[in-house]
Amino acid sequence: MAIPEEYKLKCDFTIPERYKHHALSNGKEPNIPASNIKTIPGDMTERGCAFAGNRGVIGGPIGDCLQVVHSPAGCVWYQWGTRRNLSAIYSWAGPGVLCNDSHNRRHAISTDLLEKDVVFGGMEKLEKACLEAWRLVPGAAGILIFTTCTSGLIGDDCHAVARRVEKEIGKPVFVFDAPGFCGVSQSIGHHHFNNQFYEQITEYREKHPEVCMKEEEKGPYDIAIVGDFNMDWDLAFIKPLFEKLGCRIILVFTGGEHFENLIKLPDVKLNVLHCQRSCTYISKLLSQGFDVPYVNVSLFGLEQTAEALREVAGFFGSEDMKQKAEQIIEQELKVVSPAIDFYREKLSGKRVGIYVGGPRVWHWQRVMQELGMKVVFGMCTFAHNDDYEKINARAEDGVFLVDAPNEFEIEECLERFKPDLFLTGLKEKYLCRKFGVPTVNSHSYEKGPYACFRGMVNFARDIYQGVYAPVWKFVRDNDFI
Amino acid sequence: MTTSLKLNGRLTIEELNALPEIPIEGITYDQMYIEKEPICPEYQAPDQDIIPLSNRSFVMDPGRICMPFGAMWAGVGVHKCIPFVQGAQGCTTYPRYTFCRIFREPVSIATASFHEETAVFGGRKNFIEGLRNLIIRYHPEVIAIVTVCSSEIIGDDMEGFLEEARDSLEEEFGPKIFDEVKFVIIHTPSFVGSHVEGYNRAAAAFLKTLAKRSTPNNKVNIIPGMITPGDIREIKHILKLMDIEGAILFDISGTLDCPLRLPQSMPYYPKGGTRVEEIVDMGSSLATFALCHDAGEAGATYLEKRFRVPAMIGPMPLGIRYTDSFIKNLSEITGKPITDEIKDERGILIDAMADTFHYTMGVRVAIYGDPDIAAAAARFSCELGMLPAIIGSGTESKQFVKDIWETAHEYDFEPVILNGSDMFEWEEHIKKNKIDLILGSSKAVNISKEANAPLVRIGFPIYDRVGYQRRAYVGYRGGEYLLDLIVNTLLESKFPDDRVHQ
Ligand code: SF4
Ligand code: SF4
Repeated sequence: MAIPEEYKLKCDFTIPERYKHHALSNGKEPNIPASNIKTIPGDMTERGCAFAGNRGVIGGPIGDCLQVVHSPAGCVWYQWGTRRNLSAIYSWAGPGVLCNDSHNRRHAISTDLLEKDVVFGGMEKLEKACLEAWRLVPGAAGILIFTTCTSGLIGDDCHAVARRVEKEIGKPVFVFDAPGFCGVSQSIGHHHFNNQFYEQITEYREKHPEVCMKEEEKGPYDIAIVGDFNMDWDLAFIKPLFEKLGCRIILVFTGGEHFENLIKLPDVKLNVLHCQRSCTYISKLLSQGFDVPYVNVSLFGLEQTAEALREVAGFFGSEDMKQKAEQIIEQELKVVSPAIDFYREKLSGKRVGIYVGGPRVWHWQRVMQELGMKVVFGMCTFAHNDDYEKINARAEDGVFLVDAPNEFEIEECLERFKPDLFLTGLKEKYLCRKFGVPTVNSHSYEKGPYACFRGMVNFARDIYQGVYAPVWKFVRDNDFI
Repeated sequence: MTTSLKLNGRLTIEELNALPEIPIEGITYDQMYIEKEPICPEYQAPDQDIIPLSNRSFVMDPGRICMPFGAMWAGVGVHKCIPFVQGAQGCTTYPRYTFCRIFREPVSIATASFHEETAVFGGRKNFIEGLRNLIIRYHPEVIAIVTVCSSEIIGDDMEGFLEEARDSLEEEFGPKIFDEVKFVIIHTPSFVGSHVEGYNRAAAAFLKTLAKRSTPNNKVNIIPGMITPGDIREIKHILKLMDIEGAILFDISGTLDCPLRLPQSMPYYPKGGTRVEEIVDMGSSLATFALCHDAGEAGATYLEKRFRVPAMIGPMPLGIRYTDSFIKNLSEITGKPITDEIKDERGILIDAMADTFHYTMGVRVAIYGDPDIAAAAARFSCELGMLPAIIGSGTESKQFVKDIWETAHEYDFEPVILNGSDMFEWEEHIKKNKIDLILGSSKAVNISKEANAPLVRIGFPIYDRVGYQRRAYVGYRGGEYLLDLIVNTLLESKFPDDRVHQ
């Protein structure tokens, strides 16, 4: 349904193409805004590039590989140790001394393409770079090569290089090819990573059957957590829950994970799929190619985490596990309810806007309801139709939705809906604060982890601190003299 | 619950998940104990032959970022100027993140949003549409058109595109549109140079496009380089003390450190920044001071060649001697005396140095930064009696090497100079030498912790502490601040508590 006239944002009068990206949520007849299409040039978009989805989101968290970015030094610099995708794997800083930051965040490696490489091609340089990097950082589990706009445009055959390097070093060398321009947003980078990872592990497993789990090593309740990147150690709350349930977590795709484990992805019994934007692709491929089914879960909030446990227990069908799930849920709710009750009382009736990449807008609808808050608008950078379906299903009716919002639209929504809080990212938060609206960093968090029951207390606390910080009093009393 | 001492009161993941109640404050990451897992059983020394960058085909931990970033920095320093980046979205979104991290301020930068077909057919259509969309919604006064690797490789003809865009703008809005908005094109292919060169090129491009010669205005132009809003304010303070009228090219002090005051205009524009009229007028000034040789020289030289405005290039006025030379030059060019207040400020810095040399003398420092700031920091280190043993610049620069050698001869020492190298090579030198103190950006934090040499934050980028962007390092008062930072850091880390009170 087209957006009602009174909802039309003024800032878009001159670029009316934007109106098809706006909608009002409706539970019964979902309103799906146009999504995953070209950005309007010059509209001050907040979107990033495919490389950000490819390496920034999915490849970057892998814990123990050398990551070689085939690019000028700029692209890699921006991703160097920025996202809070943490890991327990550390390289050595010296004899007996481990590094100060986990391996995946500690260094940034780039082939540093220069003019002559752009003219004559960079394959030779890439090959040398991989082999040399291998000598400089011994002990890594393999090499991941990423392309960017420059390497994409000069057309280097990175796979050929990878095959040669792989032979030389005797460890897997994978290529993830998603130049920044290859799609409309980060999302295409997720997609490419998924497909290419799947293809390359399949091939690698065929050639090296020893890397697969042997039948006798497999257990009945082996699972993979797919689509979690260990933001601020979310996994510290996620993993133990499923372990208590009786599952064995073989791997996480990809938060802080070992390469060796990632290759075992097809060997598990079930994929527990958290980020359903960035990782549904690989879950589908695994279910088609290896008969590994997946369940969609939300691991934020009380109810949703409870549902996730029930879902997984239900999948395995064991009565024992189902009972355990109920016990865990009851127990966990007890553990957090004093804190959550406190925050619900404080936050009840507050209005909140949510702007994240995509999934968290639907992950968090019910979380906000659990805190008694009212979501007044929702925005997604790179969502697709399925994300908007989920939002429609979970949101109250009439939530204003904006696909791929630009800066001006954000400003206007803040003015129009006057939220008490805006859940958003680093780039936008400083803008919102200039308009007197508090924010919580919803990508890398303020003081996480936020996942599951126990993490929800942190989330609620940061929201509370946002809303109740004394500074907002001073902002609003403008006529102090 | 008992937790072992080694955990320092922190909880293991197991303990955390066994807690019978989560307190209202929650349990955050800093209270969690995560056991570090080594990537391989033991340390293996890296292959020594390929530690020098010159023997390698890749950079590890680059000390420079891309050229467009410098041009965007420049554009952001102009009042109601929006950079328009001709490329894919990442080249804009990543720099915006970087600005936000450092300055904790919003920055508006538009992108042409290259997608797949743009890479094949070129960026003409995106450019023309994008420019129109930006103008009609934001009404900027200047648009800084910034190219990136991709648009340069596909060979976008920006000058031609701009001509076409102007035609269609005129058609839609009439000719008066060109009174409202100016365009400056800056070519910045990253594979040719770093952010430092990007800023440098922007300085030249802005002046070439806008500056004119009319009646002499008695002003001095200042091209500050990529220094902090606090630094720029300090330069203004110095000019004021000397009663000199100045015009700052790329005044980020009014755009990247702004008050939170409601109501706010929509779309958001910071109040400050260099005005277009000021840039136009720069062709009529007494002289141009480019405070950083490598980030500004091109602009100053252009004005000298084109309008015979004398160019005074570098060194960055940080520490005693370099500030002295800036002040002396200012006085000579303008004929204004060096006031007593300035001499007092100098005196206060010298007084502070006299009070602290027992702490600083003989301290071995490693320095890394953009060429001008690293060279200036090296000189100030010497003035404090410290020994800058390893000095690195991420951007290659002849001037940097020249400045360092000059300092080295004067103070009689032989530094290791890494010109245009990466932080990894610098790090390896630090780990092999006895280094007491590091002067560098937030990117040096890990090295500092691992090498057990405390870090004093200086240069680009600082994002892991607050307030640095508001402080000045330049001028005598900036020197005072830096001196305090250095000495306090040394006291904190090298001196037992019972030795610090006299
Ligand atoms: S492509 Fe070039 S301009 Fe863009 S981020 Fe990478 S290095 Fe910078
Ligand atoms: S060059 Fe391409 S890949 Fe690199 S940051 Fe820019 S858009 Fe992304």
